[in-house]
Amino acid sequence: MDLPIYYVRGEYIETDTGNKVSRKATIAGPQNIILGGKTVIANGAIIRGDLRRTGAGHAVVISLGRYCLVGEGCIMRPPYKTYRGNFNYYPMKVGDHVHIGANTVVEAAQIGNHVEIGKNCVIGKFTIIKDCAKIADNTVIPPNTVIPALSLFAGSPGQFVEDMPESTQEMVEAMTKGYYTRFQPDPSLPPANTR
Amino acid sequence: MSPTLEYYCPCQSSTPHPPQPNLPSSSYSFHALHNLYFCEECDAIRCNHCVMVEVSGYYCPNCLFEVPSASVRAEKNRCRSCARNCFMCPCCSNTLTVVPSDPPDDGDGRPPPIISATGEPPFFLYCNHCRWDSAEVGITFEKPTGLAAQLQKFEDSAPEALEFERLKEHFEPYLRASPSTSGHGLGHSHSTHINPITAAASSALARDIPGVARYTPHISARSRSGRDKNSNRHEVPDYRARVEIGSTGLNLGGGAESDVDFVRHLETVEEMATLEQRWGNSWIISPRASDLKPVRIPLHSKKSKRCPSCRHILIKPEQKAQSVRYKIKLVAANYLPAISISLPHMQAALAMLRRSGRAGAEPQDGTMLAGKTYPFHLSFTNPLYDPIQVRLHVQRALPPTSPNAPPDAEKARRPPFAVTLPSAAFPIAAFAEAWEYDDDEDMFGIDDDDFDGRGGGGAGRDARGKSRTVGVLERRANVTVVGGEVMISKEARGDVKFNMLVSYTYRSDDPDPADELGTPSRTQAQNRQPEMKTFSFYTVVDLGTIIVRDASGNDTE
Ligand SMILES: [Zn+2]
Ligand SMILES: [Zn+2]
Ligand SMILES: [Zn+2]
Ligand SMILES: [Zn+2]
Ligand SMILES: [Zn+2]
Repeated sequence: MDLPIYYVRGEYIETDTGNKVSRKATIAGPQNIILGGKTVIANGAIIRGDLRRTGAGHAVVISLGRYCLVGEGCIMRPPYKTYRGNFNYYPMKVGDHVHIGANTVVEAAQIGNHVEIGKNCVIGKFTIIKDCAKIADNTVIPPNTVIPALSLFAGSPGQFVEDMPESTQEMVEAMTKGYYTRFQPDPSLPPANTR
Repeated sequence: MSPTLEYYCPCQSSTPHPPQPNLPSSSYSFHALHNLYFCEECDAIRCNHCVMVEVSGYYCPNCLFEVPSASVRAEKNRCRSCARNCFMCPCCSNTLTVVPSDPPDDGDGRPPPIISATGEPPFFLYCNHCRWDSAEVGITFEKPTGLAAQLQKFEDSAPEALEFERLKEHFEPYLRASPSTSGHGLGHSHSTHINPITAAASSALARDIPGVARYTPHISARSRSGRDKNSNRHEVPDYRARVEIGSTGLNLGGGAESDVDFVRHLETVEEMATLEQRWGNSWIISPRASDLKPVRIPLHSKKSKRCPSCRHILIKPEQKAQSVRYKIKLVAANYLPAISISLPHMQAALAMLRRSGRAGAEPQDGTMLAGKTYPFHLSFTNPLYDPIQVRLHVQRALPPTSPNAPPDAEKARRPPFAVTLPSAAFPIAAFAEAWEYDDDEDMFGIDDDDFDGRGGGGAGRDARGKSRTVGVLERRANVTVVGGEVMISKEARGDVKFNMLVSYTYRSDDPDPADELGTPSRTQAQNRQPEMKTFSFYTVVDLGTIIVRDASGNDTE
């Protein structure tokens, strides 16, 4: 009974694999970004595929799995560090069924499958988030934090609050699939580029 | 806030009926469906309050090292075996990083996130959230490895730690002599589990302090354990403490004169460690913030869960710490229909808001006015591979008011609203694997002005042609949407919250011999083929808060 989430037709570009990327999102270095399919990049999101490791050749900087959502105004930026005197960026890998709430900044190294990250969070550099974890709204995760599978983190700095229910995987999967299905052009409005 | 619906677990009550929704106990007895379990053996819903929990494995939440149970006892439940030395900041509980002296700057004023052993000694622990470092409390290390062992020496030499070791030694012979308390007698309540240490401690306490009852969790005292403990209680010899806790010399925190002196000379409140920072310690520590030491990260556990009455396993996780899979997972969502509830008038308002560009618009609290009637929709999703028939009832009984309540209060307790639900049973089609993957299917529920559309069998038949809101509104795949109605009286205040009994009839695969053992919620219709069974459960429906339009009460429309 959930309502559809309408967008103005033409505001989003739909790829062959069903990804929906907002024209109002900033996708820097698209050749270094992989979207798994049926993933939504919302208005105002910034994905920094251009911040790649120094050196020649093609490199995947940010990869997102299937049924992900990068919410409005989110910033996805690969983690970086200086190691033995060399400054470098490191890749960010995000699994399937991962939702990231609006205005959250992510510099994680790795995010597993079936992960929910709330609104207005900061996910510090090199953070590792395991499967079925959840980050509450407004949480600040300091750099290098490890978030175990099936745990809920909240606060600043983010701390373990409780175990997630055993059915988290099914719930998150149903939620992300439902979201993608509900996310559709508004039938009552003309396409944005004809107005 | 959107309207909510939760499911009842009867474990908190002596009757199968739930408390009235306006009582505080109600919220404790109702749960989201995804938090509930189902015991096939007992044919009953179980919740996290009543299941028996067993640890099936330990791991460090930071380095994710799996710790065998035997070493958990030896290491006192702290992460030590890991080579990465997991410590928590005593100020903010963030994980600490080992850094060399004079950390090279990486541009944002923070030390490098990954330590390299090439740095200069001495090393110390550093918090990259609040910038606390262990050098502040005089803890530094020559090498960046094996920090835990170095700190261990300090911890183990604390007088309280020594005293605790002696206490354990003292009780050891007694514990070995007493019969094992685990794994006995099926069919007892789970509260019969008494930790042998608890038993010994409470027995000693009961002997030494007159008037203190021994710790006897109910039921258990009745049989076996009561007798055992009586015969054992005098065998425990006296223990003489070597240290008087609280007067361990010059240290702060014991409540002695030095503490008073410290507090008297406080200049800022930050000099005092907060309760939270000291709370998790096993023994009294200094109240001075600058004395706080790095904290070992406590281990986390994976848990198995059992049915409290038949002890069958409901949840059994896979061994691997970070696996999210289960060997056994009997969750209620696989047995009971999932029910969601919505208020069409609220959804319409929300859709309007979203269309006008506010994509993130949230439903607003309190959207029902006193004196009006509102339809609501209940959507049922069948998880079973067989179709089911569902019947709904509103629990109408009123709570007994307290005898000394004034008549006004009595009147105010009358239900300020009347709920109408479809009176006939309605079907929900079977779950089929294929539906799950049909992404293109229209799953947005119903169009508000299309009630009599697809398959809307009994919608509004009894409504004198007036409203068509009560009854089956829609059937698609394994989902059936029915409509109900709530009539709110003019004087109504508070929340529109009621208990709803849901009964569903399904085809039973196998004749269940356990049926005679009393499963009141499920009854058999013996004389029908194939064999049909009915399972009933309670839910609580919260439609939201009633808005009183005008304080003076003379609202007109
Ligand atoms: Zn329960
Ligand atoms: Zn560890
Ligand atoms: Zn800190
Ligand atoms: Zn824990
Ligand atoms: Zn059972």
